[in-house]
Amino acid sequence: MKRAPIPPREPRVSSYSVDPALIRKRGAQLDGICSLEIRDLFPDQPEVIYPSSKGIAAVREETLRQMSRVDLSRIKPGDSVNVLGSRHGFTLLGGEPYAEMLRAIRDAVTERTGCRRVNLRMGQGLRYREGEEYIRAFKLDSCFSNAIAIAPIDKGIPIPTEIGTLYGISKAYDADWIIHTHNSDVREIHFHRMVDRAVKPFGMSYARLETRSGYHQNLGPRAANFIARAIFDSDFVQSKYVCSAFLMVAPAGIVAVDCDNDLYALNDRVVVAGMKYYGKVVTILGSIDSCIAMLDFPAPVPYVFAGGLIYGNFLGAGHDLFDIEKPLPSYTFYTEAYYGRGERHLTSRIPGINPALKMTIHNYAMIGYPSEFFAAKVPTVVVGREQADLFRHDPQSTGYMNHALVADDLATAAEFARRVTGTDKLLIFDGAAGGFNVSEPLADYLLKVAPEVSRKVDEELLPRWLRQRGMEASVLAAWRTRKYPQAA
Amino acid sequence: MRIVNTVPVLDESKCIGCVICSSVCPTLAWSVDRKTKLAVLDEPRCFGCVNCESRCPTYAIKMVARREDRFLYVDPRLVDYAEVEALCRKARFHPEQVVCFCTSSRAEEIAAAILTGSRTPEEISARTGIRSGCTIECSQPLLRMLEAAGIPHRPALGGKGWQIYGRVPTAWEIPESVKKKYADRGFHFDQDIALMEEVIAAPAEPPADASAGHSPIRRLPEAAPETLDFTASNGTSPAGSRQQ
Repeated sequence: MKRAPIPPREPRVSSYSVDPALIRKRGAQLDGICSLEIRDLFPDQPEVIYPSSKGIAAVREETLRQMSRVDLSRIKPGDSVNVLGSRHGFTLLGGEPYAEMLRAIRDAVTERTGCRRVNLRMGQGLRYREGEEYIRAFKLDSCFSNAIAIAPIDKGIPIPTEIGTLYGISKAYDADWIIHTHNSDVREIHFHRMVDRAVKPFGMSYARLETRSGYHQNLGPRAANFIARAIFDSDFVQSKYVCSAFLMVAPAGIVAVDCDNDLYALNDRVVVAGMKYYGKVVTILGSIDSCIAMLDFPAPVPYVFAGGLIYGNFLGAGHDLFDIEKPLPSYTFYTEAYYGRGERHLTSRIPGINPALKMTIHNYAMIGYPSEFFAAKVPTVVVGREQADLFRHDPQSTGYMNHALVADDLATAAEFARRVTGTDKLLIFDGAAGGFNVSEPLADYLLKVAPEVSRKVDEELLPRWLRQRGMEASVLAAWRTRKYPQAA
Repeated sequence: MRIVNTVPVLDESKCIGCVICSSVCPTLAWSVDRKTKLAVLDEPRCFGCVNCESRCPTYAIKMVARREDRFLYVDPRLVDYAEVEALCRKARFHPEQVVCFCTSSRAEEIAAAILTGSRTPEEISARTGIRSGCTIECSQPLLRMLEAAGIPHRPALGGKGWQIYGRVPTAWEIPESVKKKYADRGFHFDQDIALMEEVIAAPAEPPADASAGHSPIRRLPEAAPETLDFTASNGTSPAGSRQQ
């Protein structure tokens, strides 16, 4: 059923975006916008623990319960522990669930081991102040012994691996022990392709620039994430590794916290759950024949969310992102690299951008990510001269505004897009919790095709995706029933 | 091509001389004066990447808009394109392959910089603007191209800086035993090598004009072909000055 618009995620004060006061109108406030809840489209989506009537206490309770099942015996009272995190977690449902999981992990470690030196090391993307913005916003500096954001340009440490020397960030590993914390949100399907998804931060958030560049330039689009496995499996990392804790996410919200000493066992649950629950959302978005996208969320251009998926995924949604027989998604750094001069494809394997995406209205997004590709490939209207100016001066996207138009206000941009593209289907990437904000014609379409999409994923696509990765759907049983074996 | 339109400004009252700015600068534009213990910027070397601003522990550095934009670009037409092509392919890149996603710079530009005298990643960056955005994703292509040209990499500042430590493995160097071990986990090592080799072998053409970007929209202002670096008023009309 169609519902009233879901409140979009609030603008955030950040050095990477315009003043929130300049975001004068949100997409959800436009005439003719309604919402669809994910569970209305796909009733088999799992129940969520957050948002729920229990509030954030549900995340704490679940984290403590699951942490009680992992073996922490390596940690002694006088030792030091680095809880390794990634700033991505704070983009989920406002960030409080991830922050609360981190706080609860700290409490569990201290209580069970007597260890008092529990630090936080927050890995970042390409905005090297962002981690500290989140640490301050969620007051994590008062919770951990030492809480800092780490960047790929910080001092490094060589890590010998079975494929050669890779480099980590020194401060990620400057404690006796590490605990790997992340979330199961599928996010960059185009980069990791759901191969070792849970391991990726070892090749990215906790890694130096050499390693990250090697991931995106040296290995290939479907071998890249092996970098992460090589680092995680190294003697150096294994000598410090204790356990992993993941905020388990589905498009409708937080469904569990999953903690395990065995990262690969946890990884299998993350990958299977991701394909099962996000697979339907990707597939239904990929079935849209024509639409306008609106960016309206405090994250860089490809990372704004709708229905739990990011805009970067929508660029390739028509081409089955999970199918790893297809070498290149519509967007990934490898794909971007293979556009020659004058848009010439250097390989016939480039699938092209989702043809349904006729225009993008950029109402609110952040700088700090190489974004020229998006404006170069999709007709783009940026709302507000201040935002356009911000992008013009972003060293990672100085070319973005060479391709984009500027509108003074959102209503003008929306009317322009509707008139030029001839479509009245509008999909808003605004982080609406548990659903989508869309125009009514798009809502009608999604409601109509959802049952067939659900059947197709369950009966045709998911079995293929699992087979390609050597996985079984049955690994989810432990997660869904939350019956974990006790640690030895 | 890099449009440089910002420059860092130091608040000396906040500077503690910690050398982090010089340790993270991709063009070695920052140093710390031994006497004053204050950071000093060699402005012509700076290409506005924001690393110094982002990692300064005391928030002593702020980026501000430049009064005049600078454009950095090394034109591959400065050298025999056959040499450019050969160097790119030896490093396993297609000459037109985009290697820096922030500046949309292509492998041919790195090759041209090397073939016209650049010997380090920092020198290439200072001339081309490559590595002036995120400063990380294009670091390996820089090293692979230098290695293909027979130029060994020595970390900057005698190894005391954190600019680039070294090259990391490529797909062609993954041991067969590793490929075999993980074959059923979804990694497509050999198939990805085949894809990359298809790209490397694709025909290439030298640029028809001094356009470096993805599309014809992104062009340099009109300039003499031999111009490497010039300053333009309002980002549109050039007043040439060869980079030193």
